[in-house]
Order: sequence, then C-alpha cells, then structure tokens
Amino acid sequence: MTELLLAPFQYDYMLRAMLVSGFIGAVCALLSCFVTLKGWSLMGDALSHAVVPGVSIAFLLHLPFAVGAFASGMLAALTMNFIKSRTRLREDAVIGLVFTTFLALGVLLISLYPSNISLTTIILGNVLGIADEDILQIVIIAAVTLAVLLLKWKDLLLFTFDPHQARAVGLNTDLLGLLLLTLLAATAVAALQAVGAILVIAMLVTPGATAYLLTDRFGRMMAISSGIGLLTSIVGAWASFFLNTSTGGCIVLLQTILFLLVFFFAPKYGFVPIRRQTRRSTKSIPVTRARVPESHPH
Amino acid sequence: MAEINLKVDDVTVAYSNGHVALHDASFELNRPTICALVGVNGSGKSTLFKAIMGFVQPIKGRVTISGESVHQAHRKNWVAYVPQAEDVDWSFPVSVWDVVLMGRYGYMNFLRIPRQEDKRIARECLERVGMWEFRDRQIGELSGGQKKRVFLARALAQQGRFLLLDEPFTGVDVKTEEAIIELLMELREEGLIVFVSSHDLGSIPRFCDQCVIINRTVLATGPIETTFTERNLTIAFGGALRNVRFDHTDEPGSRNEYRVLTDDEGALVFDHEGKPALPVKRQIAESDHHD
Repeated sequence: MTELLLAPFQYDYMLRAMLVSGFIGAVCALLSCFVTLKGWSLMGDALSHAVVPGVSIAFLLHLPFAVGAFASGMLAALTMNFIKSRTRLREDAVIGLVFTTFLALGVLLISLYPSNISLTTIILGNVLGIADEDILQIVIIAAVTLAVLLLKWKDLLLFTFDPHQARAVGLNTDLLGLLLLTLLAATAVAALQAVGAILVIAMLVTPGATAYLLTDRFGRMMAISSGIGLLTSIVGAWASFFLNTSTGGCIVLLQTILFLLVFFFAPKYGFVPIRRQTRRSTKSIPVTRARVPESHPH
Repeated sequence: MAEINLKVDDVTVAYSNGHVALHDASFELNRPTICALVGVNGSGKSTLFKAIMGFVQPIKGRVTISGESVHQAHRKNWVAYVPQAEDVDWSFPVSVWDVVLMGRYGYMNFLRIPRQEDKRIARECLERVGMWEFRDRQIGELSGGQKKRVFLARALAQQGRFLLLDEPFTGVDVKTEEAIIELLMELREEGLIVFVSSHDLGSIPRFCDQCVIINRTVLATGPIETTFTERNLTIAFGGALRNVRFDHTDEPGSRNEYRVLTDDEGALVFDHEGKPALPVKRQIAESDHHD
C-alpha cells in the first residue's frame, strides 16, 4: 500500500511536477491575500487570460515564453487602466472588454501560427510535460515574487488597506500599485504552465479567501494561505498521477474542498458556528412587552 | 521647527474624465489653528483633501506645506490623516495595534519593523485616546466612536504638524464628539494646524477658529466670527440647507429671533444679529439626549 502511495516519487517527471507546483502554489497563495483584500480577483482573472497572445508572439520572436506572456499581461492591465480613467464605463465592463480581446487575439495567433505550446496546454496547463528551460523561468519568477513579497509585504499591506495613510507616511502609492500589478501578472505567467490560463485565478484567490475566514491577522492570513497553496499543489499533483487526469483540476478542486470545509466550520466566521451563535443569542433576548392595562369585562 | 504654513495657491483640479472639481482655489493657514472646511456635497471638499494628500495633481496652481511640496511634506511625516469611516474596510484583518503602528511607518526601516521607540509612542497615543485595552481587537469589532479614536491615535503616532480629518463626527456618539473636540483643541495648543471637513455646522463655531467655505472654488475664508456667517453659508449651500426661522414674540424689534440652518447633521442656530448662538445649541443638544 505504502509502496503504491509512494509510486509517484519514483518518477523524475512526477517529482519535478510536485516541486514546481508546490512552489508556484505557495507563491500564488501568498499573493492571493492581497488580491482578495484589494478586490482584484477579476483583475487577476483578466490578466491570466490576457497573457495568451504573448506566449504565441514570444514563440514567433524566439523569446522565452514568460517574457512574452508577462509583457502581454502588463499591456492588458495598462490598457484597462487607460480606458477606465477616460470613460464613464464601470470597471467590470472595461475588464471584460479588454481581456476577451487579448484572449481572442491569442486564440487567433495560435491557430494561425502553431507553436511548440499547444492551445490546450496554455488554457489547461501541463505541468507533467514541462520543459527544463520553462521550469527555470517559472522558478526565477516565483523566487523573485516571493522575495519581493517577504521584503515589502508591510508596505503592500498599508497600500491595500489605506492608500491615504500610505501617502501620508511618504510611500509612493502609484509605484506600489504598479508593483502589485506586476507581481500579479508575473505569478499568473508562472502558474500558467502548472494549471493553465483558466485555473490560474483559483490559485490567486481561493487560498487567500480560505485563510481570510480563519483569522483576523494579516500575518497569520499569509502563513495559512501559503501553507494551503503549498500543500494542495503538491497533493494535487500527486493525486493526478493516480487519477490519470489534469493536475490543475486536482489542485484547484482540493483548494475548493478546503474552502468549503472552512466556509462551513471555521471557528469564528464559519456558516455553522455563526448560525449556532445567532440561534443562541436570539433565544436569550429578554422579551419585554409594554404593559397594557387589562380591560375588565363588565 | 520651521514656520507652520499650509498654502493653497490658485489651485485648479480636473479629473481625467474632464470634470473640473475645483478651480482657482486659494487660501492660507499660517498659525496653529483649527480650521473648518465647509461646503455642500460635491463642492470639492474631498478633491481639496486629495490635492493636499497628493492623490491628484492640480492642472494649475500649487499646494505647499511649510514651503515644501506635498510629497516632500509627506516624506517628512508632517501630514497626518484621519479617514472618513466609510472609506475604511472594517473587515480587513488588522488589529487596533497594527493600525496605530501604521502611523509610525515613515520612521521605520526598509522592512518596517517597529523599534522600541515606535512601540512606546504607539502605546502612548492609544492611551491618550483611551483605547489601549482594545489593542488586540480586530478593527471591525469596535463601536463607531472607538473606531474614530483608533484612527486618531494613528494620526497622533505620526507626530505630524498638520492633521486632516474627513468628517470626524459622522457616526460618532456625543461623548466621543466631545472627547475628539477636546483633543483637537489640545493639538492646537501644541502648535498643530488642524483642518477638519464637517457637515456638523452646529459644532463648528464651538471649536474652530477659522473656516474655509467652498463650492467648486473658495467662497470665503477667515476667522469664524467674521466668515462663518449666515450670509456666507446661505451662499455656499444655496437651497441645500433647511432654514427655519423662529420668533416667539410679536414685539417689534424683538431680540428673541433665532434662525436655524441645518445640513444633514448638527443644526446651526443664529441669533437676531446673525451670529452663531452657542448656548442655545448646547441646550438643544442636551435636551435632545435626555429624551
């Protein structure tokens, strides 16, 4: 039995897949704390789709895929910003408009110029068939993101919580916003290979959302979230070996299962404890009625 | 300390969608003061605050703080800010202690690790507003008045020379309002410029000594006694204020006439000479709260 469970560890490609997924999963999860609190989930979703044309263009120009993907993601983000600040359109409309345009362009380019990465790989990811030079790119991106987050998380936290105060203590909020956006685009690119463009957003939202329900402290939220990201990504990759199925799907579903458990049973903000609390406190409300003088029937 | 001065010099602010929120606005505060910023909604109060906070760049004119640009002033931690309650995400996972330490960020190193001195000052400021016992609470678990005190403590911890408060009395109980006013008066004694935007017209003459009245531009600025008049306010607010006139006597030349101007918050009462009538306001407020 143990032998069977350890089977994936005998294969180099499985070992690599688990390590790469785990690393990316943890970094995405760390960033997800900022994404969920800043309200940038939709933005992350858009970025992860907008990187697709970049992959194709990078192949045509013989550039590393990560460079093209990142450039394309940032271009999309800046386009959204530009349109939003110059029209009366709501943000969600602008995001929807821009990222679908980028995605359409990507689909078109890939079908016109078939590259070494198939559309299915970009959309659904394939961490099992990942090439060595791609691993290197992913690891560099994830490591730089991790370093920036660990060094500057307090500044980013203040920027997320209260940009006015960030200004008042002399921080450059424009720069911090751009930094957060850059990290978001970079991790979206890195996670692309592991789980694919569609599921990237789950890695950038679910762990943070889960941790948010478990704690009232940002530091703890980051620790819990990255723990969830690391664990689910390794276990997800491992499980996909037995199920002979998509790694991305396994990872994201595992994260969802954890989220649901927390949603129902989190000690303070869970559905069940809150309902129990409400019931208990409504029972203990003393009923006081105005005294109405009794009318005596004659 | 260099001379304390806030100068708004011919400032025009336009947003990128073309809306001109403020034009040709000029005024100057150059001594320790509590100055009220008064105007209807959409009159450019928050735009003026944004210009002082450096969130918007004026397309014309300039804001200087003791002679420095706003960015320089922020680098030196001169400007502390107390946000409007509705601008804060109260479910954010930070504690009271975390929030107050945010006032010290500008003094901390690259990693923002608080030194002993930062912790000592943060503690003193929390104690000063009476919130030290609440330091481990998540900020959403506080009452409206307690929330305001925490953000005041953060502003104090910054040890600036200028304090900007955006609607400090909204959602705050009378006791806290009194405590805040007392604190602001102490800060003026300590040499700060306190700049308050408020809808609570009734309380302004009680603690402010200057005011700036705006509606897309500066309509009037100066000492409360000469500037915060019925005439100026009526011009600034137009029909946006409820205006009730009381006169209980039929006597010609009655001295018992009062006029009440009210926005959505505290009412402002004028006597027969058109001056703010403070004692009456107090009586009204107190009798209100005994009910």
